[in-house]
Amino acid sequence: MEKIDSFVAWVVALTEQYPVIAKYMTTVSRWVFVVLAVYILVRTIASLLSTRPTPEVWGYLYVENGVSEPITHWENLIGRSRSADINIPLNTISKNHCLLARRGDEWLLKDLGSTNGTAVNGVRLVPDKRYIISPGDEINLGGVKCILASISIEESRNNEELRRLDKEPISPWKPMLAITLFQFLTVIQLIISMGTKVPGMAVLSFLLLCVLMWVYVFVFRRLRRKGYELEMIAFFMSTISLAITTSSAPTTTFKQFMAIVIGMALFIFMCIYLRDLDRTKRIRPILLILSVLLLVFNLIFGTIKYGAANWVYIGGISFQPSELVKLAFICIGAGTLEELFERRNLYTYAAFSLFCLGCLAVMGDFGTALIFFVTFLVVSFLRSGDFSRFALTSVGAGILGLMILRFKPYIASRFGAWGHVWEEAYVNDAGYQQTRTMSFGAGGGLLGIGAGNGDLKYLNAADTDLVFGMVMEEWGYVIAVLLVLCIVTFSLFAVNSIVAGRSSFYTIAACGAVTMFTFQTMLNVFGSVDLFPLTGVTFPFVSAGGTSMMVSWAMLAYLKAADMRKDASLAIAGRRFELEE
Amino acid sequence: MRRLERRAIMCLMLAAVLFLGIVVFSWRFVTRGGKWASFYGNTQVYTDGVISRGSVCDRNGILLASCTEDGIVYVDDTTLRKATAHAVGDPGGNIPYGAVNYFKDELIGYDLLNGTYDASRDGKSIQLTIDAEANRTAYNYLSYYDAGLIGVFNYKTGEIVCMVSTPAVDPAYYDDVDPDSAVYYNNFIQATLTPGSTFKLVTAAAAIETLDMEDYSFDCDGYNEYGGDAFRCVAYHGEEDFYDALANSCNGAFGEITRTVGAGTMKKYVNQFGLTSPVDIDGIQTAKGSFSFPGDDDVALSWAGIGQGEDLVNPCAMMVYVGAIANDGEAVAPRLLKRTGIFRRRSGKSLGHYLDAGTAAELRKMMKNNVESSYGAGNFPELDIYAKSGTAEVGYGETSWFVGFIDDEAHPYAFVCWVDGGYGGAAACGPIVRATLYTLIENN
Repeated sequence: MEKIDSFVAWVVALTEQYPVIAKYMTTVSRWVFVVLAVYILVRTIASLLSTRPTPEVWGYLYVENGVSEPITHWENLIGRSRSADINIPLNTISKNHCLLARRGDEWLLKDLGSTNGTAVNGVRLVPDKRYIISPGDEINLGGVKCILASISIEESRNNEELRRLDKEPISPWKPMLAITLFQFLTVIQLIISMGTKVPGMAVLSFLLLCVLMWVYVFVFRRLRRKGYELEMIAFFMSTISLAITTSSAPTTTFKQFMAIVIGMALFIFMCIYLRDLDRTKRIRPILLILSVLLLVFNLIFGTIKYGAANWVYIGGISFQPSELVKLAFICIGAGTLEELFERRNLYTYAAFSLFCLGCLAVMGDFGTALIFFVTFLVVSFLRSGDFSRFALTSVGAGILGLMILRFKPYIASRFGAWGHVWEEAYVNDAGYQQTRTMSFGAGGGLLGIGAGNGDLKYLNAADTDLVFGMVMEEWGYVIAVLLVLCIVTFSLFAVNSIVAGRSSFYTIAACGAVTMFTFQTMLNVFGSVDLFPLTGVTFPFVSAGGTSMMVSWAMLAYLKAADMRKDASLAIAGRRFELEE
Repeated sequence: MRRLERRAIMCLMLAAVLFLGIVVFSWRFVTRGGKWASFYGNTQVYTDGVISRGSVCDRNGILLASCTEDGIVYVDDTTLRKATAHAVGDPGGNIPYGAVNYFKDELIGYDLLNGTYDASRDGKSIQLTIDAEANRTAYNYLSYYDAGLIGVFNYKTGEIVCMVSTPAVDPAYYDDVDPDSAVYYNNFIQATLTPGSTFKLVTAAAAIETLDMEDYSFDCDGYNEYGGDAFRCVAYHGEEDFYDALANSCNGAFGEITRTVGAGTMKKYVNQFGLTSPVDIDGIQTAKGSFSFPGDDDVALSWAGIGQGEDLVNPCAMMVYVGAIANDGEAVAPRLLKRTGIFRRRSGKSLGHYLDAGTAAELRKMMKNNVESSYGAGNFPELDIYAKSGTAEVGYGETSWFVGFIDDEAHPYAFVCWVDGGYGGAAACGPIVRATLYTLIENN
């Protein structure tokens, strides 16, 4: 600690002694920051999006007409429908005939109430009941004979060879070095701009973040995990977050760092937990109860901050329960293919959503309520494929009406200023924050005016709701837009992984998580620059605020669980036969 | 699973909206960034709402104002402050087209790459095209009248070398001045005025382009009754040709010429000569003139053709038109910011050919004839001047106009001068124009 303080004092002394060199340093490092950021993010984003993973093959289904269909998911819909995973275009087979799912080493078969029925080894299956079947069993689908064949180790190896030919994730070392350099220069720049106002703890936070990053990658490289792009992006965004926090509230940097630590711990825990689908499914009721309790607790003990009673203080620590509930909301919304055919499961989710939205409405947290609502819409569409019938008419309309009633005065004032913030009537009133965001943001130009030099930070909520403006002012338009593109990348990546997805649970969870990320970013960024009415939500990974940072990291686990590139993700267990080798 | 792949298009759509929003925002960022950054709420470049960076100087480098964190510091000389007030602008923002108010993004040194980042925090020194000394000369003359204006620009490069509007505020001491006071009003940019006889240059151009005026003759009896109305002249002109008619500024003749040209053609020409649209001066939009040429009322049409009736013209637009006559018909966009550095352009931005070169040449001859036979070339020693005077009758009395240009390779200046009151256009405005041109030629 002493060493850090003397380092700060040394840089401050140098700055005072050679002010011209300090200015020159800022002028040049603005370029270096942009170049590094472009390098780090373009490399990682390109690596994430440049490949479509080859699906794993878990077995074959031989159909009597001589066709053999590879089984590429843990959960497969068999039917005449062209969108079935195993498509058998014969008239006696129903559109959604049956489900074939893998649980551990076993295979389950479930007839979905098909017209002509399903039989295994001559025994007719009761519709909607699971049966365990073994490879070699003869399956009769509406008169069509099929045989389930397990995959031999030989074939499995061949298939793994094929997957090995996929483009490998980039090696993390070079981007890591770039991030480290970025972090080092950030500290120097902050000290040049703010002098002794930068506390030693802030410098320590950057140092520890750097150590944390290297340790994380070293450890999981040892465990033969290869893909770190998502984490690289998150580390980069977290670095910007620390810099923003240091600039606006220097004494809270360490707290922000601790949020990253807890977030990462949660992330690693969730990644490992998510490996086992059954285990994950079992914990959902517990999550549901916990969420309900959290929200009720919030309703009773909540404190109003920035107009919404969504904060809870326990033992000097403040946090937002609704942020934590986001994690559970995704998990509860996700379901296996089998569950998607069960009404009850969907009703549970709808009821839970209704409860969450009701609580948020009572709290007065319009932004978060919107995020939950949109995520609910997307997830229920993913589940049912049908908006109009279910989501919109029943629950959607009710919730929307409820919310509009609850937020009427709020919405009226925010919508009144929307699109008119520069007008005389709003510029110093309901448009105050947006006009300042744009003005200071534009003042940053493409390169920014240097971390710590900004003035937007003196506004209320500058480092949370208006963080996009702060990044633009201090880091420049290029880096600010790159941060948004990171979020877009998450979406593309999640959708890109579906093709090789093991279970619809992971796919829906990943899509739900990116929906939250995307929509939240949209509200934050567009709200602050008057493309949307200002709602006051955080920018994932970037905004100051502990709960938001923790949840952003934890949410990333859902993306990792969908990363099907070979040996890439720590959230995916390797194939067992490899372990046996 | 395959179905999910299809349904996941929802996520892609959401991502697409985010992306498109960023594209829209980027477009605004690029096109409006300068305006945003120079907003008075930006404390990087404003102190208590007053711009705190940059300085303004004239074409010869005379410092007229510097913006500091203690406010805007103006030049010490009171007359110079008032003479350049409308070009430089006031701290209160009541002169919207003054440099410190209109060219804020230039002053703060904004550029897309660096934003307002400026290691020195001094901002940029912007150089106006005006000559402060010429402004001072003009201001001294104009201050004899209640209100007035002069605009002089280089009709080849477009540079406005002199722009004065009176009355003018002293921008260093403005605290007690009513924001709606006339001292903040720039007549040259913001006003539209009855053009009076100077408009005959427009009618004459229309006549040359559409009629055969070679054998034109008119018999002026000084009273010129038409349609029950009298188109009086200041004197009895007798038999006159087209040249005489313009030199005499004969209302009878021009009333008749207008009727022959016709309402539709007159309308076409005022549009073509840019008199009905705003003039763009480095982004500043001037007021736009308006005219009414009724097709079914010959008397009103006649008045419109001689610059009376409902005619209203913006002085700057008039100057650009006269500049086009001087420049073989090609109009050049006026500007106030002096181009420096690599993007400097020798010639101005063309607004296209307002008139045929032949028409322009004919008009020049007629304007020369005006000077020689009516205003007296001897009143403008050493100036090869071409002009048209005007007296406009307005509700409360008369206003005087003098528009024209000088033919001087090194000083190709066109001018417009207007004062409230005075006895005849050339008599009132001639001396102002003459003195201003002398200062300009001496200094440049």
